Amino acid sequence: MSTKNHYAFVIDVARCIDCRACLVACSVENKVPMNHTRIWVHDQGVQGEWPDLSHTFVPYNCMHCDNPPCTEVCVSGATYKDAVTGLVLVDQEACIGCGYCVEACPYGARYIDQRRGVVDKCTACVQRLEVGLQPACVATCVGKARMFGDLNDPTSEASVAIQNATSVTRLDYEKDGTDTDPNIFYLNLPTTGSILSSDTFNQVPNATLPRDSRYTIAEEGWKKVAIPVLAAAMGATFLVQAFFFTKQLVAGEKEFEE
Amino acid sequence: MLKTDISRRDFLKLGSAAVSALAVGQFIPPPVARAAYQTEALDSDGSGYINTMCEMCVWRCGVRAKVVEGKVVKLEGNPDHPHSHGRLCARGQSGLMNTYDPDRVLTPLIRVGKRGEGKFRQASWSEALDMVADKMLTISQNYGPEAMVFSSTHNLSQPLFENLLYGFGSPNYGTQRSLCFNAMVTAFTLTYGIEEPARNYDNVQYILLVGRNLTEAISTSETTELIDSVARGAKLVYLDPRYTKTASKSSEWIPIRPGTDLAFLLAMINVIVIEKIGNCEFIEEHTVGCDKLPDHIADYTPQWAEARTGVPAETINRIAHEFAEARPNALAHPGWRTSNFINSFQTERAIATLNAIVGNIFEPGGCLIAEDTEAASIPLGSPPQPAYPRISATRLDGVPWKYPLVPLKLGVFQELRDAVLTGKPYQAHGWFISRQNPVQSLPDQRKTLEAFNKMDFIVTMDILMNDTGWFSDVVLPEASYLERYDPLMPLGDHIFIRQPVIEPQGEAKSALWVYKELGTRLGLGDFFQYKDEEDYINQQLAPLGFSLSELRLHGSVQTPVAEKSDEIKFNTPSGKVEIYSQTLEKAGFAPMPTWEEPPQPKAGEFYLLTGKVGQHTQFGTQNNQLLHKYEDVPRLWMAPEAAKSLGLKDWDMVEVTSPAGSVKVALEVTSAIRSDCVYLTPGFGHVSMALRTAYGVGVSDSVLHVTYVDPISGGQALSQTFVSVKKA
Amino acid sequence: MSHTSIPLPERQRLRQKLIKKHNLANILTHWFNVASWLLLLPTGIAIISSPRLGITPIWWQEAFRNLFGSDANLIRFHYTIGFIWIFVILFNVFIGFRKYFVPFAAHRMLLDNDDIEWMKTKPLQMMGFIKDKPLPPQDAYNAGQKVYSYFVVICTLGIMVSGPVMVFKNLFPPIVKQIAQPIHFISVFVIVAWLFIHVYMGAVFPEEKEAFFSMFSGKVSAWYARAHHEKWYNEKLKEEMEWEDQVEAEVQKSQQLADEHGGPD
Repeated sequence: MSTKNHYAFVIDVARCIDCRACLVACSVENKVPMNHTRIWVHDQGVQGEWPDLSHTFVPYNCMHCDNPPCTEVCVSGATYKDAVTGLVLVDQEACIGCGYCVEACPYGARYIDQRRGVVDKCTACVQRLEVGLQPACVATCVGKARMFGDLNDPTSEASVAIQNATSVTRLDYEKDGTDTDPNIFYLNLPTTGSILSSDTFNQVPNATLPRDSRYTIAEEGWKKVAIPVLAAAMGATFLVQAFFFTKQLVAGEKEFEE
Repeated sequence: MLKTDISRRDFLKLGSAAVSALAVGQFIPPPVARAAYQTEALDSDGSGYINTMCEMCVWRCGVRAKVVEGKVVKLEGNPDHPHSHGRLCARGQSGLMNTYDPDRVLTPLIRVGKRGEGKFRQASWSEALDMVADKMLTISQNYGPEAMVFSSTHNLSQPLFENLLYGFGSPNYGTQRSLCFNAMVTAFTLTYGIEEPARNYDNVQYILLVGRNLTEAISTSETTELIDSVARGAKLVYLDPRYTKTASKSSEWIPIRPGTDLAFLLAMINVIVIEKIGNCEFIEEHTVGCDKLPDHIADYTPQWAEARTGVPAETINRIAHEFAEARPNALAHPGWRTSNFINSFQTERAIATLNAIVGNIFEPGGCLIAEDTEAASIPLGSPPQPAYPRISATRLDGVPWKYPLVPLKLGVFQELRDAVLTGKPYQAHGWFISRQNPVQSLPDQRKTLEAFNKMDFIVTMDILMNDTGWFSDVVLPEASYLERYDPLMPLGDHIFIRQPVIEPQGEAKSALWVYKELGTRLGLGDFFQYKDEEDYINQQLAPLGFSLSELRLHGSVQTPVAEKSDEIKFNTPSGKVEIYSQTLEKAGFAPMPTWEEPPQPKAGEFYLLTGKVGQHTQFGTQNNQLLHKYEDVPRLWMAPEAAKSLGLKDWDMVEVTSPAGSVKVALEVTSAIRSDCVYLTPGFGHVSMALRTAYGVGVSDSVLHVTYVDPISGGQALSQTFVSVKKA
Repeated sequence: MSHTSIPLPERQRLRQKLIKKHNLANILTHWFNVASWLLLLPTGIAIISSPRLGITPIWWQEAFRNLFGSDANLIRFHYTIGFIWIFVILFNVFIGFRKYFVPFAAHRMLLDNDDIEWMKTKPLQMMGFIKDKPLPPQDAYNAGQKVYSYFVVICTLGIMVSGPVMVFKNLFPPIVKQIAQPIHFISVFVIVAWLFIHVYMGAVFPEEKEAFFSMFSGKVSAWYARAHHEKWYNEKLKEEMEWEDQVEAEVQKSQQLADEHGGPD
């Protein structure tokens, strides 16, 4: 889907020092409940053999994908890709908090705010964008690792950063017909495989993605049982009454009964 | 994880309805201070930005508090403040939670149970202050004013604290500095004549960090500048026995043996001096002792250093060459206390010497600004006050009679505590503590608590019931930094103000108010000649011609400072950089940077390292729920081989024992540390049960630390404690 | 039942005579239900916008979202009407629940042997088979209508429970809301499937024309009643005769009293 603005995050992993200022800033700016987080930093763990060690920190939030699996499964249409900004947002008045989208996201970017019963996630601080500010995490990043901007504008900070970078990676998820095309562009992401393969991350603490986009049991129930059975039932009754109606028309009306 | 154990709040009544909302972990933007409406920074809706300063650590970044319709919703960095450049670290961003902590002390409290039981009753300010003044005067009458100890971690209200202290007539001034950077300040004062040279990263190409984990011991703007420098290609060489986050950003990490950085640096000086690759012209013209230097460092070869540090000689040689080649854009960072050993003073002297011999310490363009900066200070006004009474008593902390070279305003805090314990040369009887947590910060917690037992009277001023308050007789509620005015902060050619952003809760009051009220009751009213906080600040502004409202609107004003002369001059007795210090010589110490062998642990023992994390500030922030949310569980770091040889696994509970005490903590097996070292993040293991989020999290390393005082700088050697570890 | 056994004047009389079948409450409730469904069904279908489930065509979704302005408004409309519907239906059912609904359910809604026999015979007859076999007599509502009512009760309850679960979203954990969605959907569309039959049989099928109009007037002709709901017709007849007997008895009694007091006064 092409949108007016193509907002994207650009994160230079070499600059991230895991200070977590971004996490606190987001929590305050967006009143995130204390037991959830909209954004996080993935600690890859100390790699290598002594003394040739390395340690990388990878910040994450919602990837505001070009083809988001979350919008595919939302039954009420509450989550959508905004036509103007290109951000993936949740209309929390239309959201019923069923959580299909939480399971469907390969990046684990969504959570259910049980206090309000709705789904919540990174919105790229759309309320700040409206008044010309950067998202809270970007504005406060001490290492200047986080950048944000409109890729449709070649002079934006994000566009320039990507142009000048030597190593640009996206954590694309391609499986079962889904190709997310995420909009976080990582610079200087190490390619030693510890985040890109979906089984390694289950063993590394704090690792979260990309993981399999999941159907819930209820959704499976919808698709495999409810819809086919009901379609068959309605089809059958419709056909039955259509048959009799046709017969009636053909036979003609009778004023009185036999 | 969030604790909501309501039963523990039985003994403290907190009263505010909004505060109890926080107890269930939902952040609610607090109402803006009424005082903020006077600034014209808020529009008719009550929206706008109030500029003030952070106090979540000592860096004091400029903060813009965002106010929307009368509620403070967010803190941002002030782009005009040189310490933040518009960014705040995790602690700065959590500031609203600091002010809105459900465990805030909001009324004066007077102890009703035994010390350490945590039973207090609420009291009015007049009752509490009357009681404090009465106790202090009684102690003064019975034992002399010197029997009263005053301690405070340095902050913007320090001048008024000192008025209390010296006006009262006591010389016993405890600050945190000997637990932090005495080594650096003393060494650089003796070498360059200034306490802490500023760093300039604009053109730096080679950075040598000795300890000083800048990405975790965050000084916002400087951390950003470091990362910027590395990103644009500067080489970062980092000495640390741990692979910290700074190590992960460095070009080269040197896993040096603890306490031996001095050898590394002396060897670097050796290479540069002997091969004459430094700035010989600068050395000749502007230093004292350069003629003696070649002979003095002759033995300190890279091979000699290799034996002591474990770093290969050719590495040291190479780095020395690279450092010298990059001059004057080579920076050996002063740090705070490098490896935290007694020889850290000499290490700092070596760093000062190293910078001098490559000539990077003068403007323009130098990385280290070491020249006399007296002329560049802003002449703030102040209220009139009489001279301090003459104080004849000797200081309990041994300055200067035991520690001749320690500057008076640094002191030796751990010595002060020891003197309270021993009662020599005289017994102290009272302690006034402000914005400080000595129960956690002083080494050897058992001794600190014993020292407290010797006190007739302890009064603490703080925003939370921290561990020191827990053992006090009276706790006075200070307003948090977002709720109060403080004296102005000059920085460069600007003056910055701290002003109220959030309406003060409960009965919390600013230090300016408390010190004046207390001082007046002690008969020291003449030292506090201001009506209120605004009057104080107006008197500070008087010579400069700015109005308070102008200052409050922008949060700062710019004022011209005197032009610096072109002459290169240092504030030392000789006017030059004193690589050779006569002052040291006269006091009976080595006049030039000299090797001191650090102690080593016995077989089976470990160096106990300390350090910082980016999510907390020393001992004060562990109760902040937003920081607690994102902190790492504090565990003891140990290398895999060491763990294996002790039969230990990741997450095992282990008992760590030192000569001072013992703790039980979970183990973190990590390859990011030398196998002869273990590490604990300080600041955890709080004993105050009133800190409901922090209580029960982690352990305190001050229980383990043995008191070791450097005779020259008075610095506490925090890493000189050795421990044994076994399964708990 | 053959009409030839009844003489023509009697047949004509029976066609004229009307018996009350539905009271006003029933009628209003029924049409209120129809009106609510006409609002709830299209909007409900429009809400289901999951591309992965692919139930509602896009043009339908867009039309309704444009009509209401947003997803949230559409959903609010749907559940507002839904709550009104729940309230009115439940109110109508529970007013006089013990006095009216329980006896009604016990008397008229339970299946008996005649009903089961009818269910085996009627569908085959409609398709043109076994025309000779006589249909067992039916009560006020025939077996098909009774079975339909069971589905309506259960599915309506299903809708009424699963709907509010999705509206009061902070009171329930996500898994409950996930299950509520297909329950809501299945309950609705089971009724929709039955509606095809109900509407056809009630409004279109020629034999049931009177039934349709009775949902407005409340009355059916005795002829219709005797033909389709014989047991109920007989009951009504018996009631009428008893009532006639009562009237007759009272007339005789007052006549007797008049006689005893001698001629007109």
